[in-house]
Amino acid sequence: MNPTSVLPIVEKYNNRRGSLISILEEIQSQYGYLPSEALQVVADRTGRSLVDIYGVATFYKAFRLKPRGKHLICTCLGTACHVRGGPSIAQEFEGQLGIKRTGETTPDKEFTLETVMCLGACALGPIVVADGHYFPNVTTSQVKTIIGRTREGLDKIEVQKDKRIFPVEVACPRCNHTLMDPDHLVDGHPSIRVTVSFGEEHGWLRLSSLYGSYTIETGSEIPMGTIAHFFCPHCHAELIGASNCMACEAPMVPMIVQGGAIVQICSRRGCRSHMLDLDATAVT
Amino acid sequence: MEKYLLPDIRDLHRIDVYEAHGGYKAFRKALQMKTEDVTEEVKKSGLKGRGGACFPTGLKWTFMPKQSDKPKYLCVNGDESEPGTFKDRQIFEFNPHLMIEGTLIAAYAMGGSISYIYVRGEYGKWIKMIEKALHDAYAKGYIGQNILGSGFSTEIIVHRGAGAYICGEESALMNSIEGDRGYPRVKPPFPAQNGLWGRATTINNVETISNVPLIIDRGWEWYSKIGAPKYPGPILVGVSGHVNKPGVYELPTGVPLLEIIHKYAGGVPGNKAIKAVFPGGSSTMVLRGDQLEGVCMDAESLKAAGSSVGTAGLIVMDEDTDLIKVIARIAKFYYHESCGQCTPCREGTGWLWKILNRFENGEGRWEDIDLLLDVANNVEGNTICALGDAAAWPVQSMVRRFRDEFERRAKIPRPKVLEAVAV
Ligand SMILES: Cc1cc2nc3c(=O)[nH]c(=O)nc-3n(C[C@H](O)[C@H](O)[C@H](O)COP(=O)(O)O)c2cc1C
Ligand code: FES
Repeated sequence: MNPTSVLPIVEKYNNRRGSLISILEEIQSQYGYLPSEALQVVADRTGRSLVDIYGVATFYKAFRLKPRGKHLICTCLGTACHVRGGPSIAQEFEGQLGIKRTGETTPDKEFTLETVMCLGACALGPIVVADGHYFPNVTTSQVKTIIGRTREGLDKIEVQKDKRIFPVEVACPRCNHTLMDPDHLVDGHPSIRVTVSFGEEHGWLRLSSLYGSYTIETGSEIPMGTIAHFFCPHCHAELIGASNCMACEAPMVPMIVQGGAIVQICSRRGCRSHMLDLDATAVT
Repeated sequence: MEKYLLPDIRDLHRIDVYEAHGGYKAFRKALQMKTEDVTEEVKKSGLKGRGGACFPTGLKWTFMPKQSDKPKYLCVNGDESEPGTFKDRQIFEFNPHLMIEGTLIAAYAMGGSISYIYVRGEYGKWIKMIEKALHDAYAKGYIGQNILGSGFSTEIIVHRGAGAYICGEESALMNSIEGDRGYPRVKPPFPAQNGLWGRATTINNVETISNVPLIIDRGWEWYSKIGAPKYPGPILVGVSGHVNKPGVYELPTGVPLLEIIHKYAGGVPGNKAIKAVFPGGSSTMVLRGDQLEGVCMDAESLKAAGSSVGTAGLIVMDEDTDLIKVIARIAKFYYHESCGQCTPCREGTGWLWKILNRFENGEGRWEDIDLLLDVANNVEGNTICALGDAAAWPVQSMVRRFRDEFERRAKIPRPKVLEAVAV
């Protein structure tokens, strides 16, 4: 890693007191762990001793000094999950993944196995958390499925089966022209077509019209984290609203839903914020 | 029984729904009252802390300096890391505005300029829900400058923990907010004199704070008549372990434990007998299943039975449970979570775990049974914070109440000499 890349993170906090944990959190979210070079930079810049920084980094369970696998599976061994069979679940994971001790990562760097002492979900024990998804009342026979589904990606939504997903038909808030493209299906439904620009690039983007699905197709790959500008392919007006994303502060992109509501999606690639606003009237 | 903390109202987490059901009415009422009258009301209601230590809430508030030109702080403790405890999360999810309203009333009563809601790091999803609720409350003018034209100003900030049980301890929590290791501080000075950033601070549990709007809205007399007289109010009881319907149940205090297990939590699977329960989370004294008759979820009753309410997290273990394994696991937890400042706790929790591990592996010795008690007794009361006690109590009570289990499992049995003397 290049140690200078953590400078902006440290400098952002301007040595404000109480900011060390936040700095470490940001570094970790960037690298997936806390590289020792990065901690040295934090020490130099904040004027605190490296011992202090390590003290905080090793104190909290959320921080890791070693890189982690692509997927994290965590079995609860708190008292309530323990009496309901947590240890045998943990063992089954160790066996299936070929991991000798919890805390270790598989040689292919796919899975890291950890245990936790209680997740505050005791009523659903034994609990397993895979990549942030909770699996309640786990039995040893489900372990294999959980590993399989985690490897495939748990964020992938089963469009056909998931009842939370429904199709919306949208139009441009400026010219009211429909944005639907019935000839090109995404997720098996007519897609929403817009033009986008980011940096020097300019191209098209198709979104799934299923509210709750994140499937997109693009002409040129938009890098994760980039904020794109969205345009109507008919009137060429920029689709831009008054509000910013509650999760990442990027501008929200408004589109009119047939029947009067407004759907807004975040303009940052990878951010999954979206909302359906039923009371709003169209902004022009 | 009517539910107040978690009523069955759809979408109560939304501010408009909350307001439609009388939400923020208590806060408006409080703003019309003198600050010391608000505190007095809470004091008279008899509300006691739901975070484990059972301290009278109103009394705690009176420790805060009345006249002060320095900022004062309130910390709402949602670290919730005690195994068997999962009640505060229900408030975050289903009634976050009740907590926010309670926080506002408390901040008003004590003149708090900033309140921190400290939420355990693993609760990522709920942190977002709380942030959304706060955002809405700010937008409606319940939080911020010159609230509702009253001249009172206060801020609320969500602070995300980073995964350490000890940070639930109030002084460790303050160090954690300050960005340091969560080491508990030596008391005195108490937080009300010298707390967060060196200023006067009060720490209350999420559930405790969520009771405050009820008291202000309906008055202390009404509140003090709910449930057990010396420990009144609604209480969120979390039931887990070997029961058919584990979950969080809102009940008046004082409901018999057996009624909670059988009537609310659907009894024990396979109608097995209950071997043991932890009545208030894993750091309370364990009770024998055949000891439960007449014991209620009430501070007094549980004290008389030789335990405590703790966080009202009832963990049920049926007759087939291997209690040695359970207690070894709990000991390992405290060993892992001990912050390491105090020698008795750092070393003692490790020894407790090692010895219990011997029993688990069939290597226990007869004299180890008393050694366990000896170590536990030397940890209890000899540490900066109560983690030492929390580690000692379950072990002490397990050895005292289930000594036969340990004796049966000991590899080296009772020395013959003793028997000869007995004859
Ligand atoms: C090791 C340890 C862990 C604790 N964890 C918590 C916790 O997770 N949540 C909590 O509310 N109180 C916890 N407490 C109790 C707090 O120190 C404090 O007494 C409580 O938050 C005060 O609130 P109350 O008066 O409303 O109960 C813990 C105490 C100790 C010693
Ligand atoms: S013990 Fe597993 S969630 Fe509490």
